[in-house]
Amino acid sequence: MTQITKRNANKFLKDEFDELVRNHLEWNIRILESGSKPHSIVNGKEVIMLCSNNYLNLSNHPRLIKGAIDAANKYGAGSGSVRGIAGTLKIHTEVEKRLAKFKRTESALIYQTGFAVNSGLIPQLVGEGDVVISDELNHGSIIDGVRLTKADRAIFKHRDMSDLERVLKDADKKYRRILIISDGVFSMDGDIAPMDKIVKLANEFGAMTYVDDAHGEGVIGEDGRGIGAHFHIEGKIDVEMGTFSKAFGVVGGLIAGSQDLVNFAYNKSRTWLLSGSHPPAVSGAQLAAIDVLETEPEHVKRLWDNTNYFKKELKSFGFNTGESETPITPVIVGDAGKAKELSNKLYDEGVFALPIVFPMVARDKARIRTMMNAGLTKKDLDFALDKFEKLGKQLSII
Amino acid sequence: MSVKIGFLVNPIAGMGGRVGLKGTDDVLDEAVKLGAHPIARQKAEEMLQQFCTFPVNHADILWVTCDGDMGNNELETVGITNKQIIYAPSESTTSADDTKNACKKILETSPDLLLFCGGDGTARDIFTVLDKKIPLLGIPSGVKMHSGVFGITTTATAKMLLEFTNKRLTVGDAEIMDLDEALYRKGEWKVRLYGIAKGIIEPTYIQVGKSLFESVSDDEVKDELADHVKDELEKYTDWMFLFCTGGTIDHIAKKLNIEHTLLGIDAVYQKKLLAKDVNEEKILQLLKKYPKVKILLSPIGAQGFILGRGNLQLSPEVINKIGLENIIVVSTPSKLIHTPILRVDTGDKRLDHRFATQGYLMVVIGYRLSRVVRLQTNNF
Ligand SMILES: Cc1ncc(COP(=O)(O)O)c(C=O)c1O
Repeated sequence: MTQITKRNANKFLKDEFDELVRNHLEWNIRILESGSKPHSIVNGKEVIMLCSNNYLNLSNHPRLIKGAIDAANKYGAGSGSVRGIAGTLKIHTEVEKRLAKFKRTESALIYQTGFAVNSGLIPQLVGEGDVVISDELNHGSIIDGVRLTKADRAIFKHRDMSDLERVLKDADKKYRRILIISDGVFSMDGDIAPMDKIVKLANEFGAMTYVDDAHGEGVIGEDGRGIGAHFHIEGKIDVEMGTFSKAFGVVGGLIAGSQDLVNFAYNKSRTWLLSGSHPPAVSGAQLAAIDVLETEPEHVKRLWDNTNYFKKELKSFGFNTGESETPITPVIVGDAGKAKELSNKLYDEGVFALPIVFPMVARDKARIRTMMNAGLTKKDLDFALDKFEKLGKQLSII
Repeated sequence: MSVKIGFLVNPIAGMGGRVGLKGTDDVLDEAVKLGAHPIARQKAEEMLQQFCTFPVNHADILWVTCDGDMGNNELETVGITNKQIIYAPSESTTSADDTKNACKKILETSPDLLLFCGGDGTARDIFTVLDKKIPLLGIPSGVKMHSGVFGITTTATAKMLLEFTNKRLTVGDAEIMDLDEALYRKGEWKVRLYGIAKGIIEPTYIQVGKSLFESVSDDEVKDELADHVKDELEKYTDWMFLFCTGGTIDHIAKKLNIEHTLLGIDAVYQKKLLAKDVNEEKILQLLKKYPKVKILLSPIGAQGFILGRGNLQLSPEVINKIGLENIIVVSTPSKLIHTPILRVDTGDKRLDHRFATQGYLMVVIGYRLSRVVRLQTNNF
C-alpha cells in the first residue's frame, strides 16, 4: 500500500528553528558544571558570576542544603499529587505560615513557580467588563497572565503616576473592577515601582493592586522582606507576588496578602489546581531560606555593600549605569554590536554578564546587565571591575 | 547590504513661508519678488550632513538623483560621490512637472526608497507618480508638512534613513495630505487626505519569549484593531458608527467586510454600510434618525491630527451633537511613535477648549488594549 502524506506534520519544527539560527535568535544554552556559585564553571571556564538571580548566594547555604536533605529524608522525593487532591504535605503549609509571618501579611500561598502565579491568578482576578492597568515595562509572565483574561487592558508610562492617574480616571467611568499590576523591581533597569503611590491612587479609585516582587524579595526592605517593607506598606498591597527562585535560592512562586485572597487564589488558579506540588526537598530549602533571612542579616547587607561599591566604581570609570536602585546594575553601552562584543570579551577574561539589546531595551540603550551576588568578595569585584575598565576603554565606551 | 536611494529636491519648496505666503504652488513669482530665498537646498544639505556623521559605508549606498539644485548640488556639498544623475530639469525654475518627470526617471532605476526635500505639494506630486510602488521619506522644508511621509526634523529624517539602510525599519502606510492653497492664503485651513503612500515606520514588537521578540507587520496590528472594533460594533448594536478617513480605518472596515471610502467618512449601522462618503449635512440628517453615534477615528498625517486636518465633515456642530465621549480613537503603536501627541483643531474655540481641558485621550492600540496619549489643540 502506498502511503499518502497529507501534510508534513513536523516540518515546521526544523524550519522555524533554522530560521532562528539564521537570525542569531536561538538560545545558546550555557552549561554550568558547578552549582550556581559566585565563581561558576560555565561551558568549562571559571568565571565570576554576574548574571544569576541567586542574589544572596543562598542556593549554596549549608542550612538550605540541610533543609532540603532533611525534608527528603522525612517526606520522600516527591509529593504524590496536586495540592488540591492529596499533594498538600504538612511542610507545604509550614512554609506558607512562615512566609506570611516574614512578609507581615495575614496569609500566604505557595505555587509551583512565579510564572504559575502570574499565569494562573491574574486571569481569575479580572474578567469581562473589568480592566487591567499595567506598567509598560512589566515582565513577560505578567503579560501572559493578562493575555488569558477577558478583561480590557490599558498601559501606563513606566513608573509615571500622572499617566496612571489619567488611565484610572478614564477606567473609573467604564469598568466594574480595576486591577493595577506592576513589577516591583524592574528586571532590565533595576529601578523600583513607586508602590506607595500606586497603592494610594488605587485606594482613591477602588482599584486592586498586584505587585510582582520577583527581584525585590530577599533584596529590598528590612531583612529582604520585599517591596511592602521597602515602602513600609506591609499588608496594604492587595497581592504581593514573588518567587523563591531568585534571592531565596530555591524555586517556587508565592503570594502574600489577606486570607480572603489566599482562599480565592487556591480555589480558582488552574495552574495551582492542575499541576503537581513541590517535592519536600524544595519546601525544606524554602523553610530554611526564610530562617536564614530572619536570623542572618549579613547576607542582605553584603549584597548591598557589594552593589554600592560596584556601582560607584563603574560610575567613576565613566560608565552609564542608568536609573538602577537595586543590585541589578545595567552598564549602558549604546550600540548592540558593542554590547555583545563587550559581553564576549568579558567572558574570555573570566567575567560572566550578558548583553541586553533591542527590542528588550531601546535601540540606543544596549547594555550589559549585571546582577550582584552577596558571595562575591571585594577581590572578586576588583577583578571584574578591572576587566570592565580595560575593555570599556578598548571598545571606546569610556 | 547595498541600498539604492532616489534623491530629489524641490528647490522652490518652502519659499513662501519666509515672506508670509503660505505655500508656493501658484505664487512663486510673488514670493521671489518679496525677496524669498530657497531653503530646500539648505534643509536637504543639513539632513545629508547629519546622515554623513553616522558610521555608514558610503560605498554601499548608491544615490540616484537629478542635476543642479534638484539633488546633485546638495550631494556634492556634503561630499557624497557614489551617485548617478538621471534627470536634468528643463528650465531654470523647476516646477511640479519637473518633480513628476524626475520621479518617473528615478522610478525606472528601481530604488529602495525615494528621499525628497519639499513640502506637502511636493509629496503630492511625487505620490501621483510613485503611488505605492516605493516608500517615500520626506525632509521637511516646505511651509506646511501634514503628510505622514515627513520626518519631524532634519535630524529625525537622517536617523530614519540610517535605520532604513540598516534594515531596521519596515514599510507601512503614510498619508499624503493636500491643502487647498487658495483658501489657505486667505487664512483658512482645508486639509484633506489625498492618498495613502508607503512610508517607513518603526515596526511593532511583541514578546514571544523571554528575550525573543517578533516584529508584527502593520497589517497584523490593524487586524487586531479590527477585532477590537468588531467587539464594539457588537456591544453597541443600536448605535451608528462613523468610520472616518484614512488607511487604518479603511483596513479595519475591509477586515470586517464593510465597504469603506478611503478618503471619506462612511456611516455604518449593525455592521453594514448605511451611507457612503457622507458630508456634514448628511451626517446631521442621519443624526436625527440615529441619535446614538460613535465616531471611529485614527490620526492622519505627520502631526497627529485627529480632527481639523482631514475629516472636515466632522464639523463642530456634528461633534457637539455626538459628544466627545463617543469618539473612539484607534492607532497602530508605530504611528504613535511618530506622532506621540494628538492634535485637534475644529475651528470652534469653545469645542477646542473642551478638548484642551480633557488634555489626554485614551487611544486603542491593539485588541482591547489602550493607552493615554496627550492631546493638543493649538494651531500648527
Ligand atoms: C519579574 C519576574 N516575574 C516572574 C518571574 C517568574 O518566576 P519563576 O522563576 O518563579 O517562574 C520572573 C523570572 O524570570 C521574573 O523576573
